[in-house]
Amino acid sequence: MVRSALKTSLPIMFGFVPLGIAFGLLFQELGYPWFFATLMGIIVYAGAAQFMAIGFLSAGLGVLEIAMSTFFLNSRHMFYGLAFLESFGNWNLRKFYLIFGMTDETYALLTTIKVPEKYIKERFYLFITLFAQLYWVLGCTIGALSADILAFNTDGIEFAATALFVVLLIEQWIMVRRILPFTLGFIASIIALIFFVNHMLLIAIMISIASIVILRVIKIKNE
Amino acid sequence: MNELEYLYIVIIAMAISTYITRLTPFILFSSGKESSMLNYIAKNTPPMVMMILVIYMLKDLNYLSSELLHTFIALAITIGFQLFKRNALLSIVAGTAIYMFFVQM
Repeated sequence: MVRSALKTSLPIMFGFVPLGIAFGLLFQELGYPWFFATLMGIIVYAGAAQFMAIGFLSAGLGVLEIAMSTFFLNSRHMFYGLAFLESFGNWNLRKFYLIFGMTDETYALLTTIKVPEKYIKERFYLFITLFAQLYWVLGCTIGALSADILAFNTDGIEFAATALFVVLLIEQWIMVRRILPFTLGFIASIIALIFFVNHMLLIAIMISIASIVILRVIKIKNE
Repeated sequence: MNELEYLYIVIIAMAISTYITRLTPFILFSSGKESSMLNYIAKNTPPMVMMILVIYMLKDLNYLSSELLHTFIALAITIGFQLFKRNALLSIVAGTAIYMFFVQM
């Protein structure tokens, strides 16, 4: 079963190892010891949030703001679990780990594959999730180490974070296909940029959520 | 708080935040009750946040330099790949490679 799970998890490797390396290389620009990149891969294990953290760390942003931004950036993960309410089985350590390892990539893979009937589903999931995190941690570590060893010119690699968000925005559009949340996000960003440029991210997210709640309440009252 | 303490605290805070987002549906829906408002907020947050994040990343662009052109070309390549190939990694790598090429030229 382990070998079968390993084979199934390979597509994630092609995504996670290079992206992890990019993270490790970029993280080293901050000047911390290399193993912090590994540590982040092990205990945070969130691609986009880790990239975002590099910018926040170099700007010396407050812990609370980083925590909240991480929360909102990862809020899409709240839906991922919905697909697995039943199939992750009973509450035990394995389930806690499966939930911990619910990244975009594992989610996409686990919802796409069919587990062979001879295997126990949760255990098969466990191995895939484990291998996926292994690829990510490996990538982060290789990146951080090679930044110390090789003098690789990483100028411009920060665009990877922009590109990632653009890709996710496109995927959101393909999934959601309603103009309202995108418009609200846009307007909230502009307002936050004009009035609160130093805390733009947090304020924009708060404005957009407040406005969608208000719109919803008005709509319910009118019905 | 020295620099390493700051980093440790940030990492722990990020780990907790991330875990909460992944754990939430299992806590909320284990009892079978649903809040339609929470559902609605949760459903609309990702598209709003993605839009905000993209603008956030682009807000510091220098509009009077060649950086603007580089960014637009890299963005166009990222968007083009994503629309036609739907492979997130390919789109990110292609856009970033072009951007790095321009920046380092």
